[in-house]
Amino acid sequence: MSEYLLEINDLHASVSGKEILKGVSLCIAPGEVHAVMGPNGAGKSTLSAVLAGRPDYEVTAGTVLFRGRDLLALSPEERSWAGLFLSFQYPVEIPGVSITNFMKAAVNARRKARGLPELSAAEFLKLMKEKMALVQMKGEFARRELNVGFSGGEKKRNEIFQMAMIDPLFSILDETDSGLDVDALRIVADGVNALRSPEKAAIVITHYKRLLDYIRPDVVHILKEGRIVRTGGPELVEQIEKEGYEGIGA
Amino acid sequence: MKESVPELLCMLGRDALPGPFRLEAGQALRLTLLALPGVSVDASLEVQLLGPGAELDLGGLYLCRSDERVRLSVRVRHEAGGAVSHQLLKGIVDGTARFSFDGLIYVAPDAQKTEAVQQNHSLLLSDSCQAETRPQLEIYADDVICSHGATLGHLNADEQFYMRSRGIPEEEARRLQMISFLSPVLSRLPEALQEECLAAL
Repeated sequence: MSEYLLEINDLHASVSGKEILKGVSLCIAPGEVHAVMGPNGAGKSTLSAVLAGRPDYEVTAGTVLFRGRDLLALSPEERSWAGLFLSFQYPVEIPGVSITNFMKAAVNARRKARGLPELSAAEFLKLMKEKMALVQMKGEFARRELNVGFSGGEKKRNEIFQMAMIDPLFSILDETDSGLDVDALRIVADGVNALRSPEKAAIVITHYKRLLDYIRPDVVHILKEGRIVRTGGPELVEQIEKEGYEGIGA
Repeated sequence: MKESVPELLCMLGRDALPGPFRLEAGQALRLTLLALPGVSVDASLEVQLLGPGAELDLGGLYLCRSDERVRLSVRVRHEAGGAVSHQLLKGIVDGTARFSFDGLIYVAPDAQKTEAVQQNHSLLLSDSCQAETRPQLEIYADDVICSHGATLGHLNADEQFYMRSRGIPEEEARRLQMISFLSPVLSRLPEALQEECLAAL
């Protein structure tokens, strides 16, 4: 068994026939948080969408192993069952479906996939309460329609709430900091940090240093024009803050 | 305060469509039409609003999934000003079923301050089903608020991917999407009928 949780090797992917990822390779070990930074259009969101299995994104070459398994052969729900989670940059609104009903469907589907019985109503409520507290959501939150009428900050807190409910082994946070004020950013970052553990790992995708002041990455990758042009430690973040992306890579 | 609004539910194909209705000043009617799977029907409804403060709240839900033919024609006539009509008809069409809606809103020349809204939205699940929607507005007064909206659509891919990424299997995600789509009209039904609709999805 590989020492890595996630191994991406020479990944190429296209959207509507246009190649966006042009050979991305990176390996993430348990316990690590990797930041992926880069300018707009670099392919950051494409990378997260491809890892989560978005149907309209086509992988044209390369491999992705997750816990030694071929991730690309799995459906989006199978990837979730295997322990992968994507926090969406733009969470989707689903009117008429409450957060409670949505989470019940998600939690129980995952349990079923593992051969576990459904949670009882009491167990489920207890779990909801505990995880809502983590992102400072009040009781009425559970009854709200999924993301409908949510502010930008509430949507992102809801993503981290869902992440806490699902308790994934591997999380991808796609620009979770965009549209957040300082208070919401802190709540989201505290939530993410509380879920860190030696077995788990994450990719944090961001434009800015801001989020990485709260969630300290072990490794930083700079993605530009579909390729990783530089990999380094947290000091890379400082360099980008000073010099921008212009001077980095080819 | 108005008297409590009479609520009528009509199960198409089983109950005869009531009416024509004549709503006098201050009279209100809340009517819900329901077409469950297995029902083929050609139904016409007429409602006249005859005085200020008359109010029609019409809801409709149709589930057509094999070879059903559901045709619905609704004529709402604002003969006097200051009356309100709201129509919201939503449904799911699958298999080789066909659904069609003809909706006329007529506003008489002196029916000023009329408010009339008509919405018809269908979700098409198969390649061989058909849905048609024909809104018609005949408005002869100039100080009115009238609008209509009609869509024929498919299940949204972004919603589906979002749910599946949370581990919800594709079939269950589709079901949740249908519940989401129908929710504004589903909520008008008594609980037992809501259950029956959900079981049919």
